[in-house]
Parts: sequence; C-alpha cells; structure tokens
Amino acid sequence: MQFHSPRTENEALHTLAELGNSAMVMAGGTDVMVQYQRGEIHPESLVHIGLIERLDEIAQNGTVRIGTLVCHRRLATDSLICARFPSLAEAASTVGGWQTQEAGTIGGNLCNASPAADTAPPLLVADAAVHLAHAGGGRTLPLSEFLLDRRLTARRPDELLTVVELPDPANYSGETYLKVGPRSGMEVALVGLAVRLTFTDDGATVADARIAACSVGPRPFRATVAEAVLVGSRLEQEAVAEAGQLLAESARPIDDARGLADYRRRVLAPLLGRAVDICRRRALGG
Amino acid sequence: MSVIGTSTVRTDGSSKVRGDAVYTVDIGLPGMLHASLLRSPVAAGQITRLDPSKALESPEVWSVITAADAPSHRHGLIIGDQRILASRRVAFEGEPIAAIAAETPRAARAAAATIELAIDEEDPIVDLDLAVAEGARLVHPDWATFRPVGDDFPRQGNVAGELLSDPPGVDDAFARAPLVVEDEYRAGRQYQAYLEPKAVVAEYESGRYTIHVSHQFPFNVRDRLAAALAVRPSAIRVVGHHIGGGFGAKLDLGIEPHAALLARATGRSVKLVQDRTEDLITCPSRENGVVRIRSAVGADGTILAREIDVLMDAGAAAGDTPILCSLPLLLAGGAYKVGPTRVRARAVYTNTAPTGAFRGVSGTYLVFAVESHMDHIAAELGIDRRELRLRNLMEDGDRLRNGQELPDASILREAFTRVEEMTPWANTGLGTYRGVGISATVWLTNPMPGSAVLKLHEDGTLGVVTAATDNGSGAVTMGVIQIAAEQLGLHPDDVVVTMPDTDTAAYDAGSQGSRTTHIVGRAVEAAGAELRTKVLRTAGEMLEAAPEDLELVAGSVGVRGVPDSRIPLADVAKEATFSVGPLSGSGSYATILPGYDPSCASGMLFPAFPTPTYHVHLAEVEVDPVTGNVTILRYIVAQEVGRAINPDGVWGQIQGGVAQGLGYALYEGLQIGADGRYQQRTLESYRLPIAPDIPRVEVIILEHPDPAGPFGAKGVAEPPVVPVAAAVANAVADAVGAPITSIPITPNDVLDALERAAR
Amino acid sequence: MPWISVDAGRWVADVELSLSVNGRSHPIDAEPGETLLHVLRERLGLTGAKEGCSEGECGACTVLVGGRPMDSCLLAVHSVAGSEITTIEGVGEPGGALSPLQEAMVRAGGVQCGFCTPGFVMTLTALLADQPNPAEDDIRRALAGNICRCTGYAQIVDAVLTIAGGGR
Repeated sequence: MQFHSPRTENEALHTLAELGNSAMVMAGGTDVMVQYQRGEIHPESLVHIGLIERLDEIAQNGTVRIGTLVCHRRLATDSLICARFPSLAEAASTVGGWQTQEAGTIGGNLCNASPAADTAPPLLVADAAVHLAHAGGGRTLPLSEFLLDRRLTARRPDELLTVVELPDPANYSGETYLKVGPRSGMEVALVGLAVRLTFTDDGATVADARIAACSVGPRPFRATVAEAVLVGSRLEQEAVAEAGQLLAESARPIDDARGLADYRRRVLAPLLGRAVDICRRRALGG
Repeated sequence: MSVIGTSTVRTDGSSKVRGDAVYTVDIGLPGMLHASLLRSPVAAGQITRLDPSKALESPEVWSVITAADAPSHRHGLIIGDQRILASRRVAFEGEPIAAIAAETPRAARAAAATIELAIDEEDPIVDLDLAVAEGARLVHPDWATFRPVGDDFPRQGNVAGELLSDPPGVDDAFARAPLVVEDEYRAGRQYQAYLEPKAVVAEYESGRYTIHVSHQFPFNVRDRLAAALAVRPSAIRVVGHHIGGGFGAKLDLGIEPHAALLARATGRSVKLVQDRTEDLITCPSRENGVVRIRSAVGADGTILAREIDVLMDAGAAAGDTPILCSLPLLLAGGAYKVGPTRVRARAVYTNTAPTGAFRGVSGTYLVFAVESHMDHIAAELGIDRRELRLRNLMEDGDRLRNGQELPDASILREAFTRVEEMTPWANTGLGTYRGVGISATVWLTNPMPGSAVLKLHEDGTLGVVTAATDNGSGAVTMGVIQIAAEQLGLHPDDVVVTMPDTDTAAYDAGSQGSRTTHIVGRAVEAAGAELRTKVLRTAGEMLEAAPEDLELVAGSVGVRGVPDSRIPLADVAKEATFSVGPLSGSGSYATILPGYDPSCASGMLFPAFPTPTYHVHLAEVEVDPVTGNVTILRYIVAQEVGRAINPDGVWGQIQGGVAQGLGYALYEGLQIGADGRYQQRTLESYRLPIAPDIPRVEVIILEHPDPAGPFGAKGVAEPPVVPVAAAVANAVADAVGAPITSIPITPNDVLDALERAAR
Repeated sequence: MPWISVDAGRWVADVELSLSVNGRSHPIDAEPGETLLHVLRERLGLTGAKEGCSEGECGACTVLVGGRPMDSCLLAVHSVAGSEITTIEGVGEPGGALSPLQEAMVRAGGVQCGFCTPGFVMTLTALLADQPNPAEDDIRRALAGNICRCTGYAQIVDAVLTIAGGGR
C-alpha cells in the first residue's frame, strides 16, 4: 500500500485523478483505520488529506461553509455552529469520545456514509449541500442526493468533498438532534433524529418542518411525508402523533449487534414528540 | 502508629500512573518470535482438511503446530474435556486449530490465513433447554471417556455436572401452602473485558518452560500447563507480571500451552497476544443461565418451602461450571429463611465458548432471581417489599441450605437498618418513572491456601516473598504490605513484595474470591510473628534487654518506655546477618471449611461459604419512557468486611464492583446467534459502562472483626458485584410497574414492561 | 519538513520522515498504514500507551497530538508526522516527580490494575489544560472515551476535583 499526503487541494485532486478507484481518501482516519486494520478494506493507496490547508475553516458569507476537515469537537464547540445549527453541534458532540471527536471530521463522517452517521440528519434538515471538487472543476450536490445507500455516496473516485454548505435557518426556527443508545456516550446511534421547525411570525403555526433520521434505514433520510403533516399545524397532539407514525413507517431499520429493528421503529414516534417540544421551545423561547 | 485501618496508597501506583509498569503485552525478549492462532470460524463441525504447508513457505514463519504436533490427551480444570488444538472436531467458534510462530505478529497472522482448513459444519447446540432434552445431539459424543482430574461427579451427555438436593418436606409444604409463587428468570453472558487482552511470553530452555504471564493464579498455570503438556509441574516456571485486569478470566489456563509448544519447537522465546475480538469471543465469560424458582408461601409472607432449577451454560468445556452448580444450593434462599428447598442445578455443554469464573460467580444472576422472586411474593401478598425481607431475614445461627450455620447473620439486619438511615425506604424512588429496589446476600471469602516469607534486609526494610497476585485490587500493594509493615513497625514504603514466581515462592491460590488480604494476610501475620521474635532476640542481645520488653516502632527497636534506647532496625538486621545469619520468617494459611451437611446434596463440589460476609444494596432509578433508558439516580451499599485494613481500598473495590454490576444489569450482553457465534464482537457493540453513566456509590462499611482474619479482615473485593443486578432490576420493575425477568435489562425490555404495565 | 512536495507536487511516504515525541525527534521508518500506537510501542519502545481494543473504543492508547487527545491506535503514523506528540512518558519528570494530576490519581485511588491509567492521564491532562477548573459533569463527559473496568470512575473524578482550580 502507498500512503499519500498531499499538502494542497490541487495536489490532492491530481493524485485522485491519477489513482482512480485504487485510492481511499482518509481525513481523521477514525473510520478508515478501523476498517483497514480489521482487513475490511484493502486499498492500494491511502490519500491522507488531513494536512491540506484551508479545508479546516468555518466561513460565513450568506451561507455557512464548513471545510471538510473541521473535526467533530470543533463542530460541537464552535460558537457560530452552536448558535445557528445547534442540532449539528449536538450531533457532533455525540460522535464517539473526545478522542474520536478530535480526529474525526465532518467530511469523513459524510463520505463514510454509515447508516448511523450522526452529522447527516442535522445537515439534512439544514438543506446542506456538499461541494465535490475534481481536477479542473467541481460540482455541488444537495446532501440528500449525495448519500445514496449504505456505504455509498455520489462521490466519484476522482472527487474530493471539500466543503459542506448550510443556508441560514429562517427566523423563528428551532432545531435539535436526539440520539438514542443505552449509554450516554460512545454509542453508534440506535436512532438519530434531527428536527427543525420554523414557525409563523405569530409563533402559532408551523411554517416549515424538517425531519431527518439515521440508523433506521440504509442511509440517513428526510421523512418528507411526516414533515408535511406538521406544516400548517399548531403541533396538535394528533398531528404530532400522525407525523410520528408516518416517520416510523418511513423507516427501514434492521436488527444488528447493537439493537433490534423493532426497538428502533418503536422509539421514533415518541422521540419525534420530544424533539418537537424542544424545537418549539428553542424557536419561541419559554 | 498503626497502619492498619489507614488508607495508605498502593505501592505500584507511581509506576502505573507513569506508564512504566510492565505488563505481559509490554515484554520483549532477545530473539523473540510472535505467535498467532488459527481458530475455528464455526461453532461445530468436523475438520475435513487441515494443511499448513503454505504457511510454512513464508521465510518469516518458524513453526506451525497442529494437533498432530501437540499432546493428544484431553485436559481441564476438573475434567479432561479440552484439547490444546482441535484434531477432528471443533466444538466452539474460536477453538484453536493451529499455532504459528513467525518473525512478526503480522507475519504470523498472515501465515495463519494461508492454512488450508475445511470444516464440515454441524448445527450447533445453543439453547440450554434443547441441550438437556431427551435425544439432543451431544456436544461431546465421547463424553463418557473424559477423565476427571480428581473424584468423578454426576454428569451425563450434555450435562457436564449436576447438583441435586431433595430434602424432606418440600412437596408437603407446597401442598399445604396458601400461596405458590412461580417465576422464570434469564441472564445473559458477561465478558470480563479487562483492558489488557490475554497475552503470554514463553521460553524453553534445557527441558524447562518459563511462562511470563499477567495471571491471577500462576500456580494454576503451572499445574494446568504441566497436565496439558504431560510434564511434571516443576518443569514449568511461571513468572507473574502486572495484570491489566482479570476479574476471574485469568484464573484458568488459556493460551499458555500454545506459546509453550511453539517455544519448544523453535528454541526461541515466543509471544502470543490476543486481539480484542479474539479475546472477547474466546474468553471464559460469566455463564448465561435460566433460573426457575417456585415458593410455597404463608399468608404472613413466611416462605414455607422452595424449588429452584437452574441451567448454567458451560459452553464447550466444563471449566469450573460443575463447581458453580453448588451456588444455587448455597444461594437458594439468598439472605432469607426459606424452609426446605429442592435444588437442581445443571452445567450444560453447548457449542459456545467455554464459560468460566467472573467476579461474583453465578451469584449475580442467582441473587437477581431470588430477589426478583421476593418482590413478586410481596406483590402477591400486598406486603411491602422491604418488610417482607425483614420478616424472613436470616438471624444469628440460621443455616444455609447446605446445613452451614451462620453465627453472625444478624449483621444483615444491621445492614438494612444502616441503609434505611441513609435513605428512608418509604421516601425513596417516588415519582413518575422512578423506582427503588433493594437486595441482600451472603457471600464467601475463598479459603484456599497461601504463604509468605518475610525477610529483613540489611537496610532495615522488609521483603515479602509470596506468589500472591495483585490483580489491581490492592490486596497485595495495600493490604498485604500494610499487614507486613504493621508486624515490624515499618512504614509501608519500606516493604517490598516480590512479583509472583512459582520458582521462588510457595503455593498460592491466586487472586480469587477476595482471598488475598484474608489468607495471605494471615500467612504474613504468622511469618511476621516469627521474624519479629528473631529480631527481638538479636535486638535484646544488642540492647542487653529482655525481648519481651522491646517494641518495634518506626523502623527501630527499643525498650518500651525508653525512647532513648532505640536502635535502627537496619543495625539489628546487619548484626544478625553477619552473626547468626539473615533473619526471616515464614507463614502459611488456609481456611478450614465450616461445618456443613455432606449428605444434603449430590454433586456438591463447592460445599460451603467459608468466612461469610453480608451485603445489602439499594438502587434508585429513573426510566425514560421514550427510549427505555435507565438512569441510576442513587446507589447505596452496606457491606460487612470484618475489618477494613485500608478503607479507601475497600471503598474503591465497592465502586468498581458496583460499576461491573451496573454494566451486567443494563449494558453488557453477549448474545449468541443460532449459529453459535457471539453477535457482539468488539467493544463498540459490547457496551462497557462509561464515566458519565456510573454514579458515585454511597458506601457504608460495617466492621465485625473476624477472629480468624488478619486484624479481623474478611474478604472484600468480590461481592460488591453480586447484588447489583437484583437491586437494579427491582428498581426498574418498581419504576415501570411490571416485573423484569431477564438481564441485561435492555431499553427495549423497559418499553415492553411499560406496555405490559399499561395494559 | 521532509514530506513537502517530493514528486510532481505530491509526497509519497517512502521517504524518511520524523516524528516528534515528547520533544524528541525520531526518524520514522514505518510502513504505510502503520499506526502511531504501533510505532510508539514497537519501534520507539514507548510502551506506556496501551493497546486495549485497536478501534478507538477504550482510550487506553490516548496520546496528545498538538495538545489534543486522540486514540493513537487510529492514527496512521504518517498523518501525524510534523505534529508534536505527547505520550505518558512525557508527562511529569522522567524518573522524577509525578505531575500533580498523576500524584492525585495515585492518592485518590484512581489507579487499580493501571492498564487504562496512561490513557486517562493523557485525556485529563488535556482537559485541565483546556479547563483548569472542571465540574464533575465536565470531567465525566471528557472521559466518555476512556474505559476503566476496575474503579467505577469515582476515584478518577475525585483525583481531578482535588487538583482542579490549580492545586487545591
């Protein structure tokens, strides 16, 4: 195996163009190194992008642009992220322990495309887009079109995810990420649920609702049917219950060594109820 | 000033906190090779092809050993039912099939992967009830040929050991009882999950093996390895090193034979270190079990009689499980009077990794069953749960089901009272989704022998030669050292204890069953008394005083009441060494088993609870109705310890024991699939308790000095894990309003229970 | 720094490079994909960091990379060349005084079997550098990635509390 450590984005893109399918991109290594040491992957080359400058920045200019190398610890503590995208900060703070949060990155979390990727639901409810650069060009994709399936993304082998871009939330919005697992840390989500609600100016009615979940299907997804029930509602008990039921129906969970599909499905509806309450409180205060 | 009862710091703390304490995984010897094992990928089957020739082609590979190169007889702790390397059949996933020595660990692993292996798979035996059913396929078709190490014991087919006790009066009491309460409880496997995976370094020189290992019981390694290799025990030297946790899993023979055979084959030292998954899937974990319990109850809550039937999963080798079959007899009543009790306990062979000792052996789920059953009885009668316990609590002179008298069982009532003083039962666990549970038990101090030689060095410091091991508990680095220091009036810093070495020290039964402080402490006391006599004799001559008028204080000897007369102990040591010879004393100790009724049961291999201790635990919990997660709000332990030699040490053992119990109750479950393989294979899915979830345990230490113990000390470290699952399960059941009948209590179980309660 | 721009604007890790550990620079001749933990233990003889799980679950291998705690079992050694690595051997004075945290760990009973201890010391060293006066909750959360199977954690938390706020 070869190990490449390009110093600039340009070098990285040329390396990827040259190596094609034989290369595995690695940022913090918290996923790649586990898979490599377990013998689950056998890349001919590892392209380590962790030393590339300017990919670890958080910039604000109409939208918030998060460099692919921004680590979970930074997401969890950055004042801008905490203020504007608290569900993303919450999600990042639940990824592994402090050690993995220092090493693991937002880009790595998305490109690894785990069904349980914690940062995906908050980014989905933020309508985030990802920038994919390649030698001589680039493209931008909505995150929902980037995450295709379990361990599968729309990234071509010659592409590098460089930036995650988040439009600012509307006024009167509140959001949260709730992660389910028996322990209060070090869990791979049994269920991860991000919700963002935006209210009308009078605070009475839901103007926009976004619900995204991970670990209850092959990829993190937006539950649009459930969202539609909440839009226009005043979060009446029946509306929230119906949305919860639709959310549960949209899930395709599996049994694994960490938990049962039935469990994952059964917590979704009441979890949505809890998330909705938090969103309302955060959007409207009190 | 006495150091007994003071919290001295452990003597290995400094090297451990610096990271320079050497564990077996840290050892490197000149020319050392690295080994790897080829293990069975399936739970049951016939080996149809095994060809290691490709592995030998690698220039980095020094040796590949298969069953053809290893002793062919079977070995085991109490019965020969295991082979060093599988020959024709495999009986569990992870069973070693070949051992490879190579220049590097990576080369050894790579070579293992090139060995051609074909196994004709069979359906594994996994379910305990099916395993003991009529006509079940046998895990070991040749079980009848297995040879016991000592006397034979009841066993038959898939039943690797059976205890039966059928006293008169049981059926009669059930026939007359106004109420019969019946329950079934299930418990999962728990992995010891010590942080240092099993590792060994073996050397072979001039017909002798030297085994470096972080082991709780070096003499057992010596004896078990000798039997496995068919050599005499003195041909093996076991050198102990710092132990990165054991909790019972490092008491029996493990991967030592494989490293030893490779060392002999190559003439080089060989290191074998398990990776975490290998360690997890082959560890002698705490056995899973099924407990069926039925009680005849009077209207006032008196328990008139009981029946208890227990299936204990031994896995593919008996290990110590037939011994553990005695626990259901000893704990059939828990801490309570229960009338005549019929007990059947069976250790069951399955096509799973052999189970074994884990702190609080079998007691964890037996007490869970007994105490949950008590809550059920209380609910049936409408009697308060604590009140029911107090009505039935054992008193001084009451007997366990083996006939053993407990002269001091009223300590249990004191423990209940002290817990009540800390948190009144009536005011605890109140509020929606909150609950409280209480549990109690009797536990033992392991009686097996130990020894120590104390030698006074010429600088006035003390050397303690013993094969006692400190598995991290501090039993040696605090307890034994304090007792030794006390004997000679020294500061603990002036006492050095050897690391265990079977060539150097006499037999010691290892760190198990809280025995080290009690047993080795007594041996040290005896050795100290002998040494002290010699010291005073020499000092008396130097001071021209009668030995009985002398005192040992702060590293010096002087005439009692005459401070000016003191001379340094170093002077006495030097004087003695170069006149009469170096001063030393030796001592040995083992507990004589308490009286019991040997006719009360058949198959009773663990017949009594020597040096009993008494325990009451209380847990207050809150459950999350959305996720089913359980939060421990408060945890209280009242534990009787005889005498606390080191109060901080006792406190620390209780904190850690409870944490393991909470893991057992809530997070840790090794689930076995229909294919006989563990579903949790790493520390990602096998959930260990973490700092944010474990409460600070509130500790009540009860002291009733044991005349037989050193300065009154009884065993401390094992039992804090025992009553935890019981207290937690009862608290969760109280919080949700429905019984909990299996552990670990998963969030899904909690949601199920909430649904049952709502119906 | 030797890895910059070796060939056609990129660097391939078959050149000599160095690793800075506890203030000493070591030439590293490691295979691509080799972990920092392996290099520390097997090539540099620094065995204080322990291998407990090899996948970032137990924290026994925690070291500081530029002052930040990371699991050295998950770091490709080449990815941290150029960063300042601190291991347990670099805490306290070599062969001399323990750091106040180490001292407190021993006194409070935060050490039992000791195998996890170096990892805890590293994480807590980082915590105290970040936050000299952490509350119990902060300490417990910071330790989520460090497993101790012996102590039940209370003594480790106490060790930090006794020195938090600058050696109370």
